[in-house]
Amino acid sequence: MSDRNYLPWWRLDNAAKIFPSTSSAHDSKVFRFFCELEEAVVPAALQSALDRTMERFPIYRCVLRRGWFWYYLEDSPLPAAARPEELPPCFPIYPSLRRSLLFRVLYYRRRISLEIYHVLSDGAGALDFLRDLVYEYLRIRHPEAGFPAGSVLAPGVSERQKEADSFQKYYEKPARRFGLSPSAYQICGERLPKNQLAILEGRIPTRELLACARSRGVTLTELLTAVLLRAIYDGMRVRDRKKTVAVTIPVNLRNYFPSFSSRNFFAIFHVSYDFSKNPDCLEAVLASVKKDFQEKLTAEQLKAQMNGLCALEHNFPARIAPLPLKDIVLRCANRMAAHAATASFSNVGRVSMPEGAEKYIRQFGVLTCAGCLQACAVSFENSFVITFASPFRSRETERVFFQELSRLGLDITLTTNMKDEVEQNAVL
Amino acid sequence: MLFCEQCQAHVEGSLQRCPLCQSPLTGQPEENAYPVLPPAKSSLRLSLRLAALATVAVAAVCSAVNYSLPQTGWWSVFVIAALASTWLVLGVTVRKRGSPMKAVVWQLGVISAVTFLWDLCTGFAGWSLDFVLPIFIPCAQLAAFIVVKALSLRPAEYLFCLTVCILVGFVPLIPLLCGALGVVYPTVICVSISLIALAGLLLFKGSALKDDAVRRLHL
Repeated sequence: MSDRNYLPWWRLDNAAKIFPSTSSAHDSKVFRFFCELEEAVVPAALQSALDRTMERFPIYRCVLRRGWFWYYLEDSPLPAAARPEELPPCFPIYPSLRRSLLFRVLYYRRRISLEIYHVLSDGAGALDFLRDLVYEYLRIRHPEAGFPAGSVLAPGVSERQKEADSFQKYYEKPARRFGLSPSAYQICGERLPKNQLAILEGRIPTRELLACARSRGVTLTELLTAVLLRAIYDGMRVRDRKKTVAVTIPVNLRNYFPSFSSRNFFAIFHVSYDFSKNPDCLEAVLASVKKDFQEKLTAEQLKAQMNGLCALEHNFPARIAPLPLKDIVLRCANRMAAHAATASFSNVGRVSMPEGAEKYIRQFGVLTCAGCLQACAVSFENSFVITFASPFRSRETERVFFQELSRLGLDITLTTNMKDEVEQNAVL
Repeated sequence: MLFCEQCQAHVEGSLQRCPLCQSPLTGQPEENAYPVLPPAKSSLRLSLRLAALATVAVAAVCSAVNYSLPQTGWWSVFVIAALASTWLVLGVTVRKRGSPMKAVVWQLGVISAVTFLWDLCTGFAGWSLDFVLPIFIPCAQLAAFIVVKALSLRPAEYLFCLTVCILVGFVPLIPLLCGALGVVYPTVICVSISLIALAGLLLFKGSALKDDAVRRLHL
């Protein structure tokens, strides 16, 4: 930065506005994308690749600051460093003692991980960053492969387009406001000590999974959502079974409204199923889930939801409320909104890398930290990786989920960050 | 790779039991995908815990002795108030240690308030307003200036805190104009220094200050 006095800054986008007020040690609002290579990561090459990628994402070079009315992002000279993985997964980034960039790049053995604070970006934006980083890394490590220079991103996307707040672009004042969603069943149970996160990854061959979904006339996300609903139902106490089970599904709005933003641009909807009034067989749940997807996943519905949320932000009394008051109100709103969902399932979709890169990459994966059970999925070539991140000691939901997939004839490979239960008990 | 017969699933890593059903696994263990992390350290340091325990012990012993010897006056109240004041100043410093400018502003506020309260509660001789505050405030302004230069902070990182420090320098004007002071010289010097500092700030960093206000006050 040549002019010391000029300082770029950005308002938070609509979705990001709630995250700083509601981040805590057990719900850090940090999510992680990882890329597992076929060989061990070389730190120096990763650092060089990171330096090159940072040039293409100027908005990632920023810190979060408190204003009097809103938080905002401010350009920062802090260096972005690739570090060995020494913290627990999705460790809080904000608030922290010292001001830091809102993401970290980590490596451990064959894995490159990108952990991002949700204020900065959503899954699609973060994935763009990681793809670019991995591509630069492969270019440095494998000059013999002859990867062409340049970015993996869509060509001709300007910096302005990348840092655009697409919520503002597509906002229209809505006619009516949204009410609260009905409350859903909440998974209860003993939590892991010290805000730990139990991670369980399941790798499934994409083609087998697609064939399995298509043979039932549903999409892959619909199939997995139905299996997850049934897995949650299996762990419910009989007296809770009259409650609805609801799964939050985030939607990438870039698929519905043209945008190249590398910041937040997503909406959520709930898929719910009442097991007390409907049969609990997979076919019945699948039919209901399919209907929910068809009804709720339309441009009009998503637009209405987006407008409802943006209207809150444009409400004048809300805007002039001082930030400490907003913090309290948003924390309460977040707690109430959390009651609408039992768990969350986010399918980021297929990751594409330039041709030739696939032989160096084993798999991509994604996981996110939250107060409740979270499942995230991403596919690359023939490996579909679904990752559960749970704050609970019990892993019964995951067990039933994967055992059901196994019964459907799918080949599953599991990976976890937890040590054996027996050893763990001995340590604690 | 490991395999669980019960779940019909492969397992990567070096586990002995299936992560789903805890049955024993067959096959060859591999390297883990996640590092084994050392247990997280407690956020409160041992020295701080020991100091807190010592404080409670001193307060308890003083109260007990004072209660047993009531003819010596209620001196234990002062001991406890002194300990509380020390912890307040120390606590603010420890909490804000990541940002020295904020630490200076908080210390300025807390120490000024504590000094004034001590004066007020011990008969209000006026020493806090006459001497301590008008001497302490310019010292805090100097400390803020030194932090800015020593850490070569950027305007966005210090302007707000520095402005607060300078504006606090005008607060002693209130007792001066109300005629509540016995000795006026320290206060007059403090206000003059603050006025010069404010003029310097506006002349040299006026536009940066405006930018900072736009960022902080955006609706």
